[in-house]
Formats: sequence, C-alpha cells, structure tokens
Amino acid sequence: MIDDQVDCHQGKELGLVLCHKCKTVNPIANKTCKSCGYAIEVRDYASLQKSWALLITAAMLLIPANLYPISRLTNKGEVVYDTIFSGIAHLVHSGMMPIAIILFTASILVPCLKIIGLGLYLSAISFNLPLSKSKLTKGFHIIEWIGRWSMLDLFVLSTTVALINMGQLLDAQPAPAATAFGLVILLTQVAAKILDTRLLWDRLESTNESN
Amino acid sequence: MCPRCNSALYDTPYCSINGVLALCLTALILYFPANFYPVIEIQFLGNMRTTTVIQAAIEVCSQGFWVVGIAVLIAAVIAPGILIFSTLIQVLIVKYGLKSRFARKVLKQLLCYQPLIQQMSMLEIYVLALLVCDFQLTDFSKVTFGIGTFCFTMLFVVTIFMQREYKIEHMWEQVDD
Repeated sequence: MIDDQVDCHQGKELGLVLCHKCKTVNPIANKTCKSCGYAIEVRDYASLQKSWALLITAAMLLIPANLYPISRLTNKGEVVYDTIFSGIAHLVHSGMMPIAIILFTASILVPCLKIIGLGLYLSAISFNLPLSKSKLTKGFHIIEWIGRWSMLDLFVLSTTVALINMGQLLDAQPAPAATAFGLVILLTQVAAKILDTRLLWDRLESTNESN
Repeated sequence: MCPRCNSALYDTPYCSINGVLALCLTALILYFPANFYPVIEIQFLGNMRTTTVIQAAIEVCSQGFWVVGIAVLIAAVIAPGILIFSTLIQVLIVKYGLKSRFARKVLKQLLCYQPLIQQMSMLEIYVLALLVCDFQLTDFSKVTFGIGTFCFTMLFVVTIFMQREYKIEHMWEQVDD
C-alpha cells in the first residue's frame, strides 16, 4: 500500500506504533502500551466518523449562534437584543476598532474558518482529495491552537452579565445564542481532538504527491 | 523538525525540577486571591459593582445558561487549578517519591492527562477578556481593577513560565528509568 514512499516510513511498516495516550513507541504486537497500560490501536478508523458527526453538529449550531441574539441589554426600561455581529458593529461605530477586530476574529472568523478547515481536512481523508498533506497538517495544528480563543466572547459575556445587573436601570443578560455558541466551540474542539490524524497519512499515500 | 508536519521533535529533554517547583508554588499561592478577590469593578451612578471569576460563571448559570457557565468555570478556574496541583504532585514525586511503586503509578496517570488539562486551561484568554470588558464598559461607567486582577494576571504569567519550563518528555523519562 505504501511502497512508493522512500524518505518517510510509517511506523506501521517498521512494526512500531505510538501510544496515543502517553506517546510511547511500542512494538506493533503489543495489545496494551508498555508504559501506561492503555489499550493500543494501530489506527482508530471510527474516529473519522465521530469527528464528522461532531463537525456537522457544530456547523448546524453555528447558524443559531450567529442569527439569534447573544445578549440582552435593558437600558432604562428599554430592551435591546444584540447578536454577535451587531455587538461588534456597535464597537466599530463607537470607535473601538482594535477591540472590534479582536472580537470579530475570535467569535466570527475563527469558528467559521475552523469548521471549513476541519471539513476540508476530513473530506481529504474520506474522499481522497489530492490536497497537500503538509499544508493540511499545518492547518490542522493552527486550528487546534487557535480554536481556544473563541472562548473570549463567552468570558466577556459572563463578566458583563455579572457586573451589570441593576434591574430596569441597566441590566445585561445572556440570550439563547450563548449556549449555541458555547456548543460550537466545544464540539469543534472535541472533533479536532478525537480525530486520529494518522488516517490522513494512510489514505493519501496512493496519490503520489510530494511531502 | 518533523519532515512531514514541521513540528519540533523533542530535543534532549531537560527541565529544572526545582525551577518548576518554585513556579508551581508561586502559582498555587496566587491561585486563591486570583479567584476570591474581584477581578473587575465598576462604578455606576455611585454604585460599586464587583465580580470574581467564579461569581461571573455562577451568575450566567443561574440565568439558565449553564453550558456557558460551566465552560467558563472549567476553562478559567477548575482546569488551571488542576494543572497547578497536578504539576506540583508530579514534581514532588519526581523529587522524593520515585522509589515507591504507588507513586510511580500516580505519576503515570497524571502525565497521561497533562496534555488534556493544559489544553483546557485558558487563563491567557481570560486576561484578554478582562481587557476587552474594560473597553466595552467604559461607555457606561468607570472601570477599576483590583488586587484580584493583579493576582489573576500574575497567575497567568507564572503559569506560562511554568509550562515553558515543564517538559513532559523529561517527566516520562523519569518514570521509565
């Protein structure tokens, strides 16, 4: 299956396998890891399906997260609902550009790019798309790292809600999109975490492209 | 460097156990004021409002958004706490307890979960969130930072250095021999 590869051998051919829990290299014959005793799988094929399922759920949740309001502000008896986007638009209008850019990146750009990127990565595995493996891997690492930053919006929301609670005078409350947004972050992070990335290197080996 | 994905391969692992221990204890001392003193305070119509990280999370929970509340609580309070505590135990075992088999077993378990906990702890993001909050709320009122903010920021700085100093490969080597 992987004979045309000369410079990079897979552990599978050398009779070695990595324990995914503690990152110890084990002989392939081992059923459990010699170091941590955790069960070893040469490849976790089911992880691809799980990752797809989580990603699709997250993509669906992205719609309510952006369309529904994320916060409710009562200002002198007047109730204003804000979606993620309109909140950022307010910031731009009041001249706080840097903060607006930070929030835009963290709560709109990153979740969208993360879902598109993961979708690309997963479909490259599932459908054998001829994409550069090294670029995909680089993108995957970026996604794993940057995904955390979406939490920023939720932190800001919780602090604001706790601080501004003066009844009819001035009161901030979370609104339905907050839960959807939280779940988008959670599900995409788990989708990236659960995936056995070794599958990518297996599936695309036949397409004969340079590393 | 890995020829495939260009991530750094691990180079001769060395970490100063005493350095990690010192940073760990500092972080542990800072952890409590950081979480029990208010991190942000505002003055609105002569009215002083303060909140701690935990209060903020509970407030969101109590309004029915428990997914958000729990996420905040785990990322900003529980995970950093576990991270510091787990690192402390690991360091103490490496320093004093490598002889006993039970201690080795504990160390192995802790090392297995270390990457997960590191990923869940998001102090740096909370510090940025405080900054964003400051800018957003200046519209309404005067925002001041208290001793809690100082401790929280210091906790973040110390934890960063702790994680820089800490090398998980080195810890695994301690278990193996």
